[in-house]
Formats: sequence, C-alpha cells, structure tokens
Amino acid sequence: MPRSSVNRRYRLQGFIGPILASMAVWIACLLLMTLAAHAQSSLSEGYAKEVAPLSSSERAGSEIWFNATAFNDRFFTYGFQQRLGGAIDWYGILAAEKKRDIFQAWGGIPDPDCCIPGDANCPAKSLAETYGFQYCPGDAALLSFIGKTGYRDPACDLKDAPVADKDQRQNACDLHFGTSTGILGLRKFPNPRFKKEAWLKLNGSLESWEGYRAALDIYPGDKQTKPNRLLDGSVEPPFRIGMACGGCHIGYKPGKPPLDANKPAWENIDGLVGNQYSRVSNLLGSGFGKHALEWQLIARARPGIVDTSALPMDYVSNPGTMNAIINFARRPLHEHDILKWRKADACAAGTSVDDCWCEPGKPGKCWQRSRKKELVPNILKGGEDSIGTEEAIQRVYFNIGSCSEQCWLNHIPDLRAADPKQRNYGQTPFDIGQCRRDCASFRAIEDRLPDLKAFFLSARPSDLWQARGLASPAALEAELDGTFFPGAVKRGRDIYAQQCASCHSSGKPPFDNTDFLATVPGDPTLRADWLGNDAVEPASEVGTYAGRAMHSNHMPSRVWEQYAAIDLRERPRDPARPEVMAGSGRGYDRNVSLLSAWAHAPFMHNNAIGPEICGKPADKAVDFYDQPYVDAAGKPLANPPACTPYDTSVAGRFALYVASMRDMLNPQSRIDKMHLLSDDIIIPIAPKLQNPELNERLGIEISLRVPKGYPALAINSLRFKDLIQDAVLQRTNEKKLDEKYAGILDAARLAELKSGLRRFILDAIVEDRPTVLDLVADRDKFVQSFYSNILDRVENRGHRFGETLSDQDKDALIAFVATL
Amino acid sequence: MRLISTMRKILLGGGVLLIAAAAAFYYFGLRKEPLPPRPDIPFAALEDTSLKDPDNPSRVFRVDFARVEHDVPLSHADLAKLTPANLKAMSQEEIDQIYARLKAGPIPDGVLRGDLFFERGEDGLRTRLAEILGGGLGKGADAKIAGLEKLGKGLWKGKRFYRDERVLRNVIEDFAPLKALIDDESRIEKIEIARTGLLSWISPRTTAWLLFPAKLYCGQSLLDGRRESIIIDYAYSHDLPGYMDRPDALAGRGGLAIRDEIRMVRPGFYLGRAYANRIFLLNFTVYDPEKMSDGLQAFLDGRAVEEDCWAGEPSEVAAQ
Repeated sequence: MPRSSVNRRYRLQGFIGPILASMAVWIACLLLMTLAAHAQSSLSEGYAKEVAPLSSSERAGSEIWFNATAFNDRFFTYGFQQRLGGAIDWYGILAAEKKRDIFQAWGGIPDPDCCIPGDANCPAKSLAETYGFQYCPGDAALLSFIGKTGYRDPACDLKDAPVADKDQRQNACDLHFGTSTGILGLRKFPNPRFKKEAWLKLNGSLESWEGYRAALDIYPGDKQTKPNRLLDGSVEPPFRIGMACGGCHIGYKPGKPPLDANKPAWENIDGLVGNQYSRVSNLLGSGFGKHALEWQLIARARPGIVDTSALPMDYVSNPGTMNAIINFARRPLHEHDILKWRKADACAAGTSVDDCWCEPGKPGKCWQRSRKKELVPNILKGGEDSIGTEEAIQRVYFNIGSCSEQCWLNHIPDLRAADPKQRNYGQTPFDIGQCRRDCASFRAIEDRLPDLKAFFLSARPSDLWQARGLASPAALEAELDGTFFPGAVKRGRDIYAQQCASCHSSGKPPFDNTDFLATVPGDPTLRADWLGNDAVEPASEVGTYAGRAMHSNHMPSRVWEQYAAIDLRERPRDPARPEVMAGSGRGYDRNVSLLSAWAHAPFMHNNAIGPEICGKPADKAVDFYDQPYVDAAGKPLANPPACTPYDTSVAGRFALYVASMRDMLNPQSRIDKMHLLSDDIIIPIAPKLQNPELNERLGIEISLRVPKGYPALAINSLRFKDLIQDAVLQRTNEKKLDEKYAGILDAARLAELKSGLRRFILDAIVEDRPTVLDLVADRDKFVQSFYSNILDRVENRGHRFGETLSDQDKDALIAFVATL
Repeated sequence: MRLISTMRKILLGGGVLLIAAAAAFYYFGLRKEPLPPRPDIPFAALEDTSLKDPDNPSRVFRVDFARVEHDVPLSHADLAKLTPANLKAMSQEEIDQIYARLKAGPIPDGVLRGDLFFERGEDGLRTRLAEILGGGLGKGADAKIAGLEKLGKGLWKGKRFYRDERVLRNVIEDFAPLKALIDDESRIEKIEIARTGLLSWISPRTTAWLLFPAKLYCGQSLLDGRRESIIIDYAYSHDLPGYMDRPDALAGRGGLAIRDEIRMVRPGFYLGRAYANRIFLLNFTVYDPEKMSDGLQAFLDGRAVEEDCWAGEPSEVAAQ
C-alpha cells in the first residue's frame, strides 16, 4: 500500500478521536480472532486423521510438502508471465464449474475439502464470493483480504516440531501456505493489488474471468494467434496462485485407490507416491492456444512427466517422471567429492560471505562452505543432483519458482538475448549462499529440511498382495501363478537374479540366494533391497531416448552447478553421443528402483514404454491426448492404437503394468512414438506488423516456418543462439569461430560447419529475403547436425534387455516383478 | 521517402536479430556526438572470469547482480553524480550494473524530458554493434547508430505520465515523419513543452503531440528480477482513451510490442530500458530538471523515497 494511503488513514483516525480509534482497534482484533488463519492440519479433519500416526517432525514435513510454496505465488503471477513470457490460464484450470475435469484433464488430485459455492453445505453461497473458484478451508479469512494487505498466512500457525535448543528457525509465515485451490498442491493467495472496479470493468462480474482470458480480436493477426490478456501485466487477478512440491508428487495410493478418481477422500491420497497422471506441462502452457509456438513446444508431454529443466531453459527436451518417494531409508549411498555449505557454530572474523555466514541476530546459526568426500544418494534421472538428500529436497522448491526473484531468475537465460556478451545470454550458477542470505523463504524451508526428510523416510512401498487384500505374499504368488503359469513367480525370480539384479538390486552379486522381498529387522514395512543400485551408466548403453541424460543444468557454469558433486559434474560426457558439445557431466542414466513397479507403469524416465494413457474430460477443449505413434518414415499412423483411459484401481494399474512390461520385453513389436507438431508454426525473427497497411509501409517480416509433422523435440532442443553467433562470426571473425570449436570439431567437421553456415546465410538471408524461411529438409539436416542438443527422435526406443527371453520366461519375469 | 526509410530502420533496430540489424544500420551515415566525462562511481568487475562455458569459450560471463550490489552498493552521493548526459559515456555493462542497483521509486507524474542512447561496448565509446562487426563495417555501424540517436532525440522529447490513471503517452515534437501514418491529426492531444537548444532563446515553448499511449504498472524487469521496475507497456494499449490505430498500433501488440521499464536514479530522474518484442533495443532517461534540482539535498540527506513497487526482499515493508 502506498504510504500516502496509510497516512490518510491515520489522519482520519486522529480526526474521529481517540475513543473511536480505540474501539476500531478492538473491533479489528476481534475480527482477526474470528478470521484467524489455521494450519492445514486443523483446517482439514481428513488430512489430520491421515497424518496423526506420524511423528511431530514427519507431520510438519508433510504439511510443508503439501502446502508450502515458499514465495512462488509471485513467480506464477508475475515472473513466469512477464520475465519468461509464459501464460497460465488459472481460471481455465481451477474454476469451480470445471471441478469435474480436474483429474481427467489436468491429472490434478481434487482436494476433498473444497466445494462448489452454492452446493449444499458449502459455506460460500455464490461464485461471486469466491471469484469463480471453489471454496476451500481457510477461505473465510483469505477472501476478506483480496485487494488488501495484512493477510495472515496459515503457515504462521504451523505446529513446528520441537527442538532441543533455542528455536532459531526462520518464521514459519515465510513458508507461504495460502489455501487450497481445489487441486492439491496448487495454493492461492489474496492479491493485495486487486482492484474490484477494474476487474468488474474488464470481466463484467466478480466471478467471471472472461475479459481476462478470452481471445482478443483487435488486429488482423489476432484471428490466427488468438492472444488474450493473460500477459497484460496491468491486470491484477484476485488471486496469486502458488505451487507446492505436492503439486507434482501427490497422487492416489496404489493400494487404496478412490472408488471415483474424480472424488477422492483423504484416505486415498498419498503425498509422496508421485502423480503419474499429472499434466504439468499442459498447465504451464494453458494460457496459449494450441496453435501457439509455446504450446507446441512445452505442452507435448504425456501424462506423469514434466520437463523440469524447461523453466531454467537448457534447450534439451527431457520430460521425466515424478518418481515415487518410497523406502528412502534403504536408498543406496555413493561416495562423492562435494563442495557445499555445512552447518557451523561460528565464522572466523573477516571471513568472506562466500565461505562462511552467520545469520544476523541468531548466535551460532552459521554455515561454512567446505569440500569433503561424503556418502550421498544419486538423485535425479542421471544422478546429477548429488550433494545430499536435504539439498536435493530444497532444490525442488527453486525448480518451482520459490525465491525466484531474490535469487533465481537472474541466472536463467533470456530467449531473446542473442549477444554472447549480453547478460542473460545463457545460464549462470545459482548461488546457494546468496539465496540463503537474501530470501527468507529459503531459510524457512532450509530450517525445516530435517522435517521434510523425516516425512520422506516415512513412506513405504505399495505391495500388490496387500493392495489385492490378500493374506500374504504367498497368496499373491499363487494368484500370479494362476494368471501366468504354475511356477511363474519362482521362475521369474531366477531370471531376475540372473539378468536384472545387477542393475535393479542394491545388494551385491551373486544374487542366487538373495531374498529380494526381505525386510529390515525390526521394521516389517521397510524393504531391505532398494531394487536398484542407483549407479549411473552411459545413456548409450541403456539406449533409451537420451534427452533426459543430456540434461545440462548441473554441469559447470550452469544453473544447478552448486547442486552437483564435483566428480559427477566433471565426469567425461558419454563419448558415444553424437551431439556437438564439450561440456562434462552429461549423458548418463541412473539404474532406477523397481519397488512397487506394478503400480507405476508405463515405464522409462519418460513413461514412453507401454500403452499411452489418457483422461476423458467432459470438456473436449481440455482433452490433451496427443497420439504419438508414427511409421518408419516418422509419419503419423493412419490407425494408431487407442489410448488407455486412466484407471487408478488396483486391477487397472496391474493391467497397465502387464501391458507395459510386454512392450518393454518385446522391443521389436514396439511402434515408434514421436510427438509431432500438429500445425505449421511460425517463429517470428523480425516482427510482422499486424496492421496490413502499416506493415506494407514500415514493416519487414523475417520468420522461420517449421512445418506440421516436424518432431517437437527437435525444436525444443535447438541451440539457436549458437547458430546466430556462428552466422555472425562466419561473416565477421572466422578466427573466433575456429577458437570456439577448437577441441570440439575436427578439421573436416569444422569445414562442414563453415560451408553449411555460408549456405544457410546465403539461402536464408539473402536469396529468400524478405520471406518466411522454411525449415526444409537440407537446411534442417545441417542445423540439427550441428545445433541440436539431442539427436534422438524416437521416444520409446532402447532398454532391450530381456528381449531374447522366451515368451514363457517373459511372463515369468512379469509375474515376479509384480511381487516386488 | 527518406524519412519513411529512416523510420523503418529505427523500427528494425528493436525487432531484428543482430545480423539483420547490422545490415540495416550499415546504410546510415551521420556524425557522432562527443561523449561527456564519466562520473566517478564504483562498479564490480565488468567480467566474471571465474566462469567458463565449456561449450562456448567465447561467451562472456558477468558478475551476478546480487554480488554487485553486495560488494559495491551505490550511495545517494554516487547516484547524485549521475546525469542524463554522463550515463552515455558508459558501456552497456556499466549501465546494467547501475540499473540493477536502483529501485523503482515512485511512479512519476507529469511531463518528463527524455533522451536515448544505444548499447555501447566495453570502453563506452564504440557501440556494441560496431564491436561485434569490427573493422570498417564496425566503424560504419558506429556512425549509423550515432545518427539514429540523433534522429530519435529529434522526434521523441519525453514522456507524459498520468500517475493516477496508470497511463503514459509519449511526447513527440517533430511531426513530419509521422504525418503519413496518422489518419486524423485533429484527434491527437497536444501539449506545450519547454523547448531545448538554441531555438529556446527565440521561442521558449513549443507544441508537442502526445502519441503512443501505454499502460503503467509495477512489474518484472527483463534485466534484473530481484525487485520490480515501473513498466511502460504498449502491448494492450488499444483500450486506452484517445488510442488511434494509426499510428499507436505501431508500438503495440500489433506492431513492435514495445515495452519500457524504468528505475529511479534519484527523485525526478529515471533510467530506462526499451525492448521491442522482448528484445533489448536501447537505453533511455526521463527526467524533470526542476525536480532533480529541488529534491537533491533531501536525497543526499538520506530522506526516504516512496516506493510504489515491490522493492525486493530486504525492504519488503514497502512492497505489495
């Protein structure tokens, strides 16, 4: 609020007189008491019942995981749109009237405690009260602060775990919970900048968002591009929306699924299992029409996967699954050379803040940066996030925009910065020490990482025998033998020991007598074997689509450099990869755990091996299924296999598991999958003015047309800035071009590059000008060969292990893995 | 036709990648203005040599803004040394480091004079484009950009801020190049502004047009995300009072999608950045000499400055 407004208010109080002012204070206090915020555990009876068996630390961790946004509501309201050029249609996703499609369209997990205003027992009686959203616990307080300052966040009332010494944790308010939006993990906050009159003028009513989100038709080009006002920064919506980690990780319990996936109860919900239906990429692109470049690039991911490096922009198309966080107490540890911040009691006088820092006003709360060898888990698909479990947990928050303004946005590239001397040309390393100093929400999370870790460690695998309501693993074995063939499970166990366990067991060979289902003494719920060794292997050996392995955010000079162990980020890149690059650390996949594999199909890091799954939303406009099946020439199949509708039941998951295992073990029968552009996309290089007359008089148009049917990932992964720089160097300073590629290209390839650049410049800039440059075959071949970060195109190739087994042995393996 | 052609080059400057821009600028030829002396204020190193991109050794890293501000903060006395003129003697990296150490300040009100200058290279003397192109081509580009600056200053005199309405219009003095692009001159709002230069001795005031309306709001800087800037956004200006498709669409979403952002150097004086289609185009200043002078002592005395925008976490009490 501008100070002048505050001053006016105080002057008014003085005018009324001290008695009335005192009364006003008392009334305000009473109102605050009535509308006092509450933490989630006290707002939701169902949630509280679920977390009741947990320890106080695990409960705090759960509440943070489900609800804490750590200041990213500003990112998803301002930073994402204005700085990165993204657009999210929050109303299109979260409107109360769209509740029936939350799961089917977006894969969101509906919040059991939210209701549609006007429904029986819903405290809100009209959509105008909630600005068109569902009404959720805590909204009585929140709604009264829309357009005002002073909202007391429910996080302030988090019941923190007790600490032995003086409590020096950052204020829990800085966790920023807000209240539910109706989708678990998406949280809303009152926007203090909201202006009721302006909203009514734009939208016609409080509950309507149509003026804000509807397509505009002002200029001739609008008919094609269908812009809206979601990128108009002058419009302040009633809510700022934030995202908690739970937004991707909350899912349905495999062993206790809801009867109706659109109407779950809290007993069906698990915070750590991973949401294999989530369409986060579609959500992030929801503000664009399907014809838009942005949509074509970021929204072409199948359910349950998201390109977590898309926001930091590493120009590698690499969507990956949200792994189940289970049985972490037995996750293998690996020794790594780690430079990181470690707790300290004090800093020596004169020490640089880059080496040691103590939080002002909190004696003894210090961190020192030091290099040591340490045992830590390999986290992420290539094991690259490897300085410790707690640090890996905290990095998740930055990946979803927390503290983005204070310490993150300046480290990621501006897509349009084409000069390599310009700021924001490329990524720079996020500075953990600076973020700790400058972002209170960083400290609020960091001070509670032990609680989050405790919550993680509480999660256990979902066993099929329990999910089916059987008495014992032996009863499941009998059922599976009946399904496949007598003795199938035992035969499968032997095959697993001989052919799979070297990667998919945390034990040591030989595996002849290994009990893969053994539990830890004293804890019958904790499995002894992680069923994966988490070792990292060159991606070329596994042979799967390598986009994820080529992920570069953790390599030296890139945004997550400080989250990578030195030995991992400096390991030589997979030498078998054909892409042009020198940077170390890339090209590896981690051998994943197969715990509860029956519940997590389809398979591989991109969910590409197995049937395609799809929701069936009532509103076909939000049906995002995009059939990826292509023929040998990369053309869409005329009659592709149908997608498998979401089925969260135990039987549904098992059927999907069996089909996916068959697909994996029979690679020769797989139909190639490749997401293709469904329409031509035009990438404007020089602007075309939308007024035809002005365009003729003043405009110039240089655009790149990428044809319909082109693999989306080939555009996503293009190092277009290198192409621009090289084209300039080729014309102006060839010596610098030689220096740039010294040690990367041999003489013959460098000559090929230069010849290609000459052709490219001549054809594209001179001969065709002014025109729309078509990415025709020969240009494309040159561009992709030198400037693509990932040359793979087929998304479901590789991992051919087991293909030579007999059909019966494949069935045996399928039967056994279902027991894991 | 030459003026139309000139306008085209200006417009191209914002929207075209470097190759196309280089080609466009090559055909200009005007003399450079002498640069004023540089102010003595602190900067961090202009390159961060501790970082190397293994895939692109020619890439230059800059010192992170958070570190710049932590290590070499700017005092009010430092800011008082800056003027609209002497900013032009600096390299783009120095301008960036200054901008990142500013806060948005209050959203201005009334007419502020304007000046503009293009990106300069490492020594602050050559334009960055000239530095990229090098040799004769670079020298040519340098001269052309100097011409563009001169031309821009001839056309554009500043900005009229309507603080309460959160609207802005640009003050255009030289109408001739734009006449062919306007349907109905009678609809254009006009104001009297103080004349500058030699002619002011003969006639101290002149008439200017108010064109290219824009929305004013607090928003994200495209350079430094650590605190908000005052955004001047032309993208959705079609519903503003007095909007005329010809010529206002040129700056809007249907045209070059111009977006400016400003931060306050000191009361009455703002440093800005202009983008076309989100591509950095040029630097500019807007200032009110009277306010600059009147408010200087209070500023040097450390009087708090009002912040309308989110000023970053260390002073978030001023936020919302």
